[in-house]
Amino acid sequence: MNPPRPGDAMLTDWREAAGRFEAEVAKAVVGQARAIRLVTIAIFARGHVMLEGDVGTGKTTLLRAVARALGGAYERIEGTVDLMPTDLIYHTFLGSDGRPRVEPGPVLRQAEDLSVFFFNEINRARPQVHALLLRLMAERTVTAFEREWHFPNLQVFADRNRVEREETFELPAAARDRFLMEIGMEAPRDAGTRRALAFDPRFHDTDRLIAEVAPAVLDHASIGGIASAIQHAVAAAPEIETYVVALWDALLRPAEAGIRLAGIDMEHLVQGGASPRGLAFLVRAARVRAWLEGRDWLVPEDIRAIFPDVMAHRIFLEPIHEMRRAEIVPALCRAVFDRVPAP
Amino acid sequence: MRVLAILFLILQTAAAAAQVRSVELRTPRSFGYVLGDLLQVRIDIALDPGSTVQRASLPKPGPVTYWLDLRDVAVERMAGGIRLRLTYQSFYAALDARRLEVPGFTVALASESPGGTTTAQAEIPPWSFGVSPLREVQPEKRDDPADYLQPDGRARRLDPQPAAMAALVLAGLGLLALGLLAYDRAWFGRRRGRPFALAARRLRRLAETDPDGYREALRLIHRGLDETDGRRLLADDLPAFLDRHPAFRPEGESLGRFFEASRRAFFGREVQAAREGWPWPELQAALRRLAAAERAA
Repeated sequence: MNPPRPGDAMLTDWREAAGRFEAEVAKAVVGQARAIRLVTIAIFARGHVMLEGDVGTGKTTLLRAVARALGGAYERIEGTVDLMPTDLIYHTFLGSDGRPRVEPGPVLRQAEDLSVFFFNEINRARPQVHALLLRLMAERTVTAFEREWHFPNLQVFADRNRVEREETFELPAAARDRFLMEIGMEAPRDAGTRRALAFDPRFHDTDRLIAEVAPAVLDHASIGGIASAIQHAVAAAPEIETYVVALWDALLRPAEAGIRLAGIDMEHLVQGGASPRGLAFLVRAARVRAWLEGRDWLVPEDIRAIFPDVMAHRIFLEPIHEMRRAEIVPALCRAVFDRVPAP
Repeated sequence: MRVLAILFLILQTAAAAAQVRSVELRTPRSFGYVLGDLLQVRIDIALDPGSTVQRASLPKPGPVTYWLDLRDVAVERMAGGIRLRLTYQSFYAALDARRLEVPGFTVALASESPGGTTTAQAEIPPWSFGVSPLREVQPEKRDDPADYLQPDGRARRLDPQPAAMAALVLAGLGLLALGLLAYDRAWFGRRRGRPFALAARRLRRLAETDPDGYREALRLIHRGLDETDGRRLLADDLPAFLDRHPAFRPEGESLGRFFEASRRAFFGREVQAAREGWPWPELQAALRRLAAAERAA
C-alpha cells in the first residue's frame, strides 16, 4: 500500500527474492499456497516450524523443497522409538580397518553451516530427544565433544502425522512452545489439483520433483540480518498493540470476553498457555507478513492470517476438552476474531 | 316566563347574619307541568367570602314525596356565593290544574376563620309549581280499549353506515397498532437491527472539526459492519461480506475506500492523509446510503 522508502531498497529486493522463493517451492508443492506462505513467513521470522497433517499430504515434500530453495547445509533424521539424543550428535561404527570410529552425527556433520535441520516424524522420538531439541531450538547451540557448537542460521523443521498414536510420544509443552508455527496441512480441496496429484506422473517421483526447484534462491546466511531489519522496519500502531493484547485476553479468558462455543463450559475451557514468548512470536510473524504484503505497518489482517498457526498449539485446554482439541481450538480462534474489535 | 322569588332570611345568630346575605330561588316557569316533567330549580345563595357549603347538609337525590323525586343536586361556585342546581321530576297524575308545594330545606354553611370554624344555616323556603292534567277526565267512549292509546312520537331513523364505517376503521387501526407492537417486541421472531441507521444518527452528533471525530466516525461504520455481519469485519473480508449481503453490493466501491481510509487512520497513523483520501462529506453520504441499503435489504 505505502510506497517503500528509498532506504528500504534492500527490503524490497528481498521481498522479490521471497516471491521467487515461494514460486520455486510452489513448483513442487501444488495447492498449498497457504502453507508455503506460512513457511516463508517462518523463515524470515527465524522461527522453527512444525508441520502437521495426514499421511501423504506433502509435508516431507514441502520441507525438502523449502530446504533446497533455501540453500545452505541440510540434514534430516527420522524419528524412531529407539532414537537417542546421542544419535543426533555422533555415531559410532567399525571402520574398514576394524577399528572403532566416532563420527559427528547429523546435527554436527555440517558443523556450524547447518541451516535446515529436518526432523521427520518427530513424535516417534522419545522425550530425551525432545529435550535435546529444546536447547538446539531455543539457543541454537549444542554441547558436544567438550565444546559448544553454534548454529547461527539453523532452522528446525519437523513434521508429524496426527493419525497415528501408537508408539508415539506427545511433545512436551516447552518443546511445542519453541516452534514458531504449527502448520496444519490438508490435501488440496480444489478438484483440478487433486486430479493432477493423482494422475500427473510428474508428482509421482518426488526426487525429480524436488530437483525442479531451483537451489539456493535465497542467501541463507544473510536471512538473519534481513529478519531483524524487517522487525525494525515494520511499525505497529498503538491500535495494533491494543488489538493484540485484547486478542490475548480473549483467548485466555474467553468467558469474560463473552465468547460462547456450543456445548462447552467457557469458564473451564482454557487452562493456560499463550505464553508471552508466543505473543512475541505472533507479532514477529505478523511483521514479516506485512513486509511480504508490501507494507511497512501492521494491520489486523496480518495478525489474523498467522494467528491460528502461531497460537493454537500454545493454548492448553482443560484435560476433558483436550481430546476434542482439533475442533475446539480453531473454533475458539475464530470466535476470538469475531469478538474482538480491531479499531 | 319565570318566577322570581327573593327572600331575605331572618337568621338566628349574629355570626350567621354576617354570612348568608340572601337566598334567591328561580324556576323556568311556575305552571304548566305535566306527568313526568323535569323541574330545573336554581338557588343562588349570596355568601360572605370564605364560606363554603357543607355537602352533607344538601338533600340527597331520591324520592321527596310519593309524587316527586329529586333527580340531581349540583353545587357551583359563583361570584359572591354559591349556586345549587336541583332537578326534580314530578309524577303527579293531575285530574285538574292545581298548585303543588315542594317542601323547603336547610343548607349548612361553614366559614373557616383564625378563631375557629363558624357555621350558619341557609333556609331554602318551600316553593310551589302548577301541574296540569295530560288528558280529559272523561274521554270519548271507544269500543276498542286499544283506541284509547295514543301513538308514540315518531323517532328519526338513524343511519348505521357512518358508525359501522368508524368501527371498521378503528378496528383496522387497532390491528395495525397490535402489529406494530408485535414487531417492536419481536413476538414472531428476531427483529433485524438497523446498525447503520443507528450509526448515521450517532454521526450527526459528531463534530466534523473534532480531531478525533474522523476516527470516531470510521469506528461507527466499523461497528455497523460488524453488527450487520455478526462478526468483526476486516478489510480483507470485504468481498466475502458483499457476497453474504448482496444488498450492499452497490456500496462495494465506497466500502473499499472506507477500509483504506480506516487502515490509514488507525494503523498507518496518517489520519490527515486518510481524511484527504476519503473526506467527511463522502463519509456522511456513504453512511446515509448504507443506511438506505440496509432498509432495502
